[in-house]
Amino acid sequence: MKIRLSSILKTLAFICVAGICVVGTMIVLRSKESEYKYADFFDMAGKDQIEVMFIGSSHVINAMNPAVLFGEYGITSYNMGGHGSVMQATYWEMMEALQYCTPKCVVVDTYLMQKDYQYLDEMYEDSSDEERASSVAQLHLNMDCWPLNKLKIQAINDLIRDEEIRKQFYEPFYVYHNRWDTLDSNDYKAVWGDGDRNTLFGAEMRYGMELAPGIYPDPPEGEGLGGDTVGERYLRRIIEECQKRDIKVIVTFLTCSASTDDKRAVNSASAICDEYGVSLVNMQEMGVVNLYTELNDTGHMNAMGSVKATKCIGEALLEEAEFTDHRGDENYSYWQDRADEFHDIIYDMALESDSIYQQLNYLCGAENVSSIIYINDGSQAFGDTQMQRVLHEFTVTPKIFHTDGPYILINDIASGNVYEASGKETLDGVTTSLGTVHYEPVEHLFRVFYTDEDPDTNLLYDDSKYEYDIQIITYDSESGEVLSHNYYKSYGSNYTKG
Amino acid sequence: MQFVSFSFLLLLPIVAIINFYIPDKFRYIWLLVISAFFYLSVDLKAAAVMAGTVVVTYAAGLLIDRKSGFSKAVFIAAVIMEAVAMFVFRSGRILGAVGISFYMLKSIGYLIDVYKGEIQAEKNFLKLALFVSFFTQVISGPIERAGNMLPQFEKPATVDFDRFRDGFLQILWGYFLKLVLADRLAIFVNTVYPKAGSTPGTVVAIATLFYSFEIYCDFAGYSAIAIGVSQILGIDVMKNFDCPYLSGSIAEFWRRWHISLSTWLRDYVYIPLGGNRKGLVRKYINILIVFAVSGIWHGSALTFLVWGLLHALYQIVGVLTMPIRDRIVAVLKINREGISHRTIKGILTFLLVNLAWIFFRSSTLEQALEIIKKSFQFTPWVFTDSTLKNYGLSELNLNALICGLILLGIVDVLTYNGFEIRKLILKQGFWYRWAIMIAAIVAILVFGIWGAGYNASSFIYQQF
Repeated sequence: MKIRLSSILKTLAFICVAGICVVGTMIVLRSKESEYKYADFFDMAGKDQIEVMFIGSSHVINAMNPAVLFGEYGITSYNMGGHGSVMQATYWEMMEALQYCTPKCVVVDTYLMQKDYQYLDEMYEDSSDEERASSVAQLHLNMDCWPLNKLKIQAINDLIRDEEIRKQFYEPFYVYHNRWDTLDSNDYKAVWGDGDRNTLFGAEMRYGMELAPGIYPDPPEGEGLGGDTVGERYLRRIIEECQKRDIKVIVTFLTCSASTDDKRAVNSASAICDEYGVSLVNMQEMGVVNLYTELNDTGHMNAMGSVKATKCIGEALLEEAEFTDHRGDENYSYWQDRADEFHDIIYDMALESDSIYQQLNYLCGAENVSSIIYINDGSQAFGDTQMQRVLHEFTVTPKIFHTDGPYILINDIASGNVYEASGKETLDGVTTSLGTVHYEPVEHLFRVFYTDEDPDTNLLYDDSKYEYDIQIITYDSESGEVLSHNYYKSYGSNYTKG
Repeated sequence: MQFVSFSFLLLLPIVAIINFYIPDKFRYIWLLVISAFFYLSVDLKAAAVMAGTVVVTYAAGLLIDRKSGFSKAVFIAAVIMEAVAMFVFRSGRILGAVGISFYMLKSIGYLIDVYKGEIQAEKNFLKLALFVSFFTQVISGPIERAGNMLPQFEKPATVDFDRFRDGFLQILWGYFLKLVLADRLAIFVNTVYPKAGSTPGTVVAIATLFYSFEIYCDFAGYSAIAIGVSQILGIDVMKNFDCPYLSGSIAEFWRRWHISLSTWLRDYVYIPLGGNRKGLVRKYINILIVFAVSGIWHGSALTFLVWGLLHALYQIVGVLTMPIRDRIVAVLKINREGISHRTIKGILTFLLVNLAWIFFRSSTLEQALEIIKKSFQFTPWVFTDSTLKNYGLSELNLNALICGLILLGIVDVLTYNGFEIRKLILKQGFWYRWAIMIAAIVAILVFGIWGAGYNASSFIYQQF
């Protein structure tokens, strides 16, 4: 039987063209979450610009902000945290990443270390199908970006038992081909390699505030998980792998509404750290982050909590290893730009936020925005414990807890002073960037607030806004220019913006 | 291993390339090896039943062909043995055997042909084994005839580039029907049918309509893949579907639907019973018997029997009312060849077939009757109030489905009117051909119901 050469060539050409079309289709259809998160990782690792790697669960994603770490210390880092990432998934995530870079230090968080199951598609016997499906789906974020190789196959086989489910990790098109009905512009941009990317080097900030974090009992002192749970075994493997490669390790437990089991996991982590001579940063114990104002929900920090947690880790890193401050280095301008961008986001949110809690939270942590907060007498904010806690973050006095108003607080960043007055108290001639301020409550709906430089403007009174019981004025900490003036009305612990 | 599996898609090119290079006279051995591997991968335990069937058929064939005094006894014993084995092993009570209904009919057909002297018994055991177990047909047919297959094993057709492309197009069309249409329709049908009682009537009616297309796309899809794969391997397999939903009568429907089974029943049941040669009453009885057998062959549930008998009833009523219908046509001077008359006949035939499918799909007679009753509850607002999106398919998925069904309709109408779509495509310049083929591949990959998140459903006819 003969076959013509032209037929063979035509067949090969057809296979090539069809292959290109199929690959293009696969690029458009694949989920962009993983490449969104890791696009900068591959670029920065290629330039050998990753000195620190943060690994762990979503607690890490929300708490460790590489943009802040660079802005504060000039240290470059990448947040490799994964949603729902248990310790074995974290281990494999680190192994994948270590193919591309060798950081000076790995910071590993121990949240979820108490999870004592090997396979993410099986979990516990009594786990529901939804939990299993969610566990598998979450693994995609951490796995899809890595090319299929021996290590990835090893990782998938270690994390997933079901052969059928493994296929979707070997070739994600297996699961994503049905995304055709949800494609957006970013999916098509990916074909040309200019899709969106995470500008916080893998971190994701949350901007809400948990109003009622739970407090759970401590376990008996020193009681841990038992020493040989799956989570403990993989924490040991992480430490051993790093030590083998001469990479420093810091183990953390990030502030959250920790359950008794979480606290047992910390005890176990502490024992393992002692075993290997590794530092443990237990932020829960250190009180780095305010449980009542700096959590987004019971588990995750909000952006302000993240700033504090990252600074705390920055200090720990400096103690652990030697780092060069890259700020000002032209080669690291990309990092500086991202740090500045994040700073701008916080600045904007301090001026205007979705909720009063958020705005007060950002103002409390802002570095160049001063603020005046006024609450009229009779406001329901005085019965709102959460509001009192947030305001108390600005000051050391307990005045807010003991007043029915009116209440005023001036947080003047330039001078570093915080001024407060409540009831019939006045402020007379206090120095701020705004000018020399005078405040005096006159009657329920009227108060006087002016500066010597502009005595005709009463900043805290507006006929058209008299029904609003809360006002927040922000001004530039250097020039004193008023940046925003927000009015809120309280209904119990609900606040509507005017 | 299923036709709709990644392993099959990987295996097929390898099988085809090796087959291409094997000399014609040894090719059947290669095809038998692949068939054995394929069947073992599908159903390891049932391989013993398959092996037994091959041995019995082979031995009985040779004994029958000797034309001795025992031939008839051997023939009857072998046919009874195979028929009993088919019903026993199909039920799964002892051991379920995939495809047994199909390969047993092939075997029985072979024995009848040998007994009637229409073919000689196959002396080469391996060729007979290949006939019974040929992997493209073993799961769901077509139920081929030994007279067509055995000579091809002796001398398979030359696989040239044109034949390869034609087979490839058949396969693509089969996957499109199965993965894009049938399995998408199945999502809607499988969501509605179990809760038909609490579903708006028009939605139930739509689900039944969708089921009519689901079973067609599913089975015709399988057949197209089987025919295409066989073609690539140098074997021509009979057509199994020929635009059945464009039929103008139930009799015509059965000439176009599952042709290999209909012709098998015609040749080996209806005609031996006397067909239409022994008077009208016998003809009606024979029709009832044939369709009862067809129903029972599909399944042991009463619903399948009712489905078969309903089709028999349609045909008998059709014959009985023919004089009246002829009279009406004559009085009203209706042009039988006119498009309007043909359209009305086509729609009525489709509605009758559609009604019968309700029994085929329902698990009990009660459910079937409930669905029929529910279907008459007219709730047209479901088309405009987004209700249709609540049954497993999003709006975009429903749109994709409708586009696919329109394409199926266009292809069937063109085929019905004598246009051979594949030939038309293959006549085009290569850019055009390539564009169509690549678009089809991408469409199947993207719009197909496969992979994680879906339980890729087996072919419906695999269960029979």
